[in-house]
Amino acid sequence: MAPKVDTQSAGAVAAADASSQFSMDPVFHVLKVVPYSFLRPPRLRLKIPSVSLPSAMTVFSLVLLTYFMVVSGFVYDVIVEPPGIGSTQDPATGAVRPVVFLPGRVNGQYIIEGLSSGFMFVLGGIGIVLLDLALDKNRARSVKVSYAIAGISSVVIAYVMTTLFIRIKIPGYLR
Amino acid sequence: NSSTSDPLKPFKLKTKQQELLIRVSILCLVYILAFITRLFSVLRYESMIHEFDPYFNYRTTLYLTQHGFYDFWNWFDYESWYPLGRIVGGTLYPGLMVTAALIYRLLHFLRFAVHIREVCVLTAPFFASNTTLVAYFFGKEIWDSGAGLVAAILIAVCPGYISRSVAGSYDNEGVAIFALLFTFYLFVKAVNKGSLAWGLASAFGYFYMVSAWGGYVFIINLIPLYVLVLLITGRYSMRLYVAYNCMYILGMLLAMQIRFVGFQHVQSGEHMAAMGVFFLMQVFYFLDWVKHMLSDTKLFQEFLRITVTCAVAAGGIALGVGMASGYISPWTGRFYSLLDPTYAKDHIPIIASVSEHQPTAWSSFMFDFHILLFLFPAGLYFCFKRLSDATIFIVMYGLTSMYFAGVMVRLILVATPAVCLISAIAVSATVKNLTVLLRSKNKVAQIGSTKGTSSAKASSKASLDQSQPFQKNGAMALLFGAFYLLSRYATHCTWVTSEAYSSPSIVLAARGAHGNRVIFDDYREAYFWLRQNTPPDAKVMSWWDYGYQITAMGNRTVIVDNNTWNNTHIATVGRAMSSYEDEAYEIIRSLDVDYVLVVFGGVTGYSSDDINK
Repeated sequence: MAPKVDTQSAGAVAAADASSQFSMDPVFHVLKVVPYSFLRPPRLRLKIPSVSLPSAMTVFSLVLLTYFMVVSGFVYDVIVEPPGIGSTQDPATGAVRPVVFLPGRVNGQYIIEGLSSGFMFVLGGIGIVLLDLALDKNRARSVKVSYAIAGISSVVIAYVMTTLFIRIKIPGYLR
Repeated sequence: NSSTSDPLKPFKLKTKQQELLIRVSILCLVYILAFITRLFSVLRYESMIHEFDPYFNYRTTLYLTQHGFYDFWNWFDYESWYPLGRIVGGTLYPGLMVTAALIYRLLHFLRFAVHIREVCVLTAPFFASNTTLVAYFFGKEIWDSGAGLVAAILIAVCPGYISRSVAGSYDNEGVAIFALLFTFYLFVKAVNKGSLAWGLASAFGYFYMVSAWGGYVFIINLIPLYVLVLLITGRYSMRLYVAYNCMYILGMLLAMQIRFVGFQHVQSGEHMAAMGVFFLMQVFYFLDWVKHMLSDTKLFQEFLRITVTCAVAAGGIALGVGMASGYISPWTGRFYSLLDPTYAKDHIPIIASVSEHQPTAWSSFMFDFHILLFLFPAGLYFCFKRLSDATIFIVMYGLTSMYFAGVMVRLILVATPAVCLISAIAVSATVKNLTVLLRSKNKVAQIGSTKGTSSAKASSKASLDQSQPFQKNGAMALLFGAFYLLSRYATHCTWVTSEAYSSPSIVLAARGAHGNRVIFDDYREAYFWLRQNTPPDAKVMSWWDYGYQITAMGNRTVIVDNNTWNNTHIATVGRAMSSYEDEAYEIIRSLDVDYVLVVFGGVTGYSSDDINK
């Protein structure tokens, strides 16, 4: 049938590189006859780029970025389109004051409050990761100590700030 | 130190036995804790069913216990959606009702004569306790038994789960989360062991999930995605092949037994991913076999390229033909709006109007998860550090469920088990690191002295000796810090459960003028008035929110109820409610209605009444 005849004719024409060109691929053989028996392919120095799987820690940093976006309420921002920061009017002076936290509901936010809370959560997570890196045996002692201090301070700051945020947002929290 | 004259010798346990005793007692305490933390509303009000949807489930369970399974399965309900009626047997997920009826039968067999309502109220806390046990075994499978214990504790009190499984919330999710976690645990166990028995068990777990909740679509899409990720990262193995094939084929056949699901596993676009991955697995197995037979690697590379191209092309053509001919239906609106969140706002207002379907703000996350939001990225880090088939699964479950939880508030419930498990890994790994530091004896000094006494080594040895107590104190302080954080978590969870998630929506409470607590039982009084003072064949028109409660408690026929399957009917009722009186009267007469129920909150300042809607 067609591929077999093509193999023989192609083998007769290009005898020099017949051994390295032997292929089971029928499409290859059809292409050898139809355009490329009278068209000369140009000599290129292109190589197919090799795609390799990224390392685990690369994937982890991408995941952390996605987590930050989800937990700051990115989808809420896209759909409900709240303002970046709210504003109220001071009843006495008439001046317009900014309001950072949307009051009254649990499931509502302005964009900036969402982003700052999301940053706090990620900071807390990174703090615990730094603590684990600090307990790793194969590092210099000064690096371990600095990692430990950074980790502990990150966790403490993140916890205190998030508790403060939720207390501002929900006035009756833990009462 | 055991001496021959020690009087307590017969009571001293070996270390392994001590460990087993501690583990079992922790699990027992967690089991009891998960149950009792959900009982706030039963203690404050009474043992009754909450909300709207559970009333329908209660009514069907009542019918099931009174009339038996076959009458229930073939039930045509003429009391709702007048004049259309509703084919109940074919439009509900029977898992919850059958489970409650079985528990009821068991208790009656043991001569505990409880009312079916008590069984219905307490089904959800009972299954929440069972979920903690499954979380323990799952944690043990993924990481180790310490992580399993922490996972059980975290999931016992997590508000994200409590919100839909409190006593009285007799809804599908109470049972479905147990079934979800159980199916995932069985599948991961099957992949780890490669045994056909565990694969069969996971298929039955999947069947239970399909019978319990419409969210089974999450399982049938997550597991193929997981298999695909394993194939891409080069973790194809015979264990995976056995586990997935067994689970998919048997699970699909079993799922078709539920009338509501029917043939969706071969006809619906939402289930096609599983079928595609199934065929891809066969291609992988075939290629593996050919590679085993062939000794020529170059020839095999060619063969590989041709086969993969042909397989992908054939799959694409089949999918295209299926979708074009209409045999494979496209993704339904409910699930499509999860992938494209802006879809519901523009096209399906009735889905977009439900408050549970709004996207999630950061405060809802904080409310439902508290410190788990810190521990989740840390747990992901630990999972990425020690990649295995099981940790890849929990990472994928966590990420996909967190994304869906960000799109819809209600789906925080599905993300809760994953977040609890991954946080448990973070807690367990950190605590383990710290306790290893605490327990390390001065081994460094001994090694330094035997190896040699060069000056550099001596000075470093001396500095290490000096830092040892400092390290121990630091580790002790950090352990106390971790303990403090976890205790704040427990306080937060109990406060949230008590204040926010324990109100039966059918009984309202408010503060009166003098600060005293006033309880409104208006809903139930109204329904009972309907039951006592109207003729038995009276038809009641109301907004669809109250339909289930009117049929269950008032025992009267309604026009529309919470099933919302016929939008035209609902639109007719809405038009009647919002038109002028003469037009409305015409519409109401044409629907053959005898009574109209309107909720008015003006006197008490109740804000979610019909006038505001």
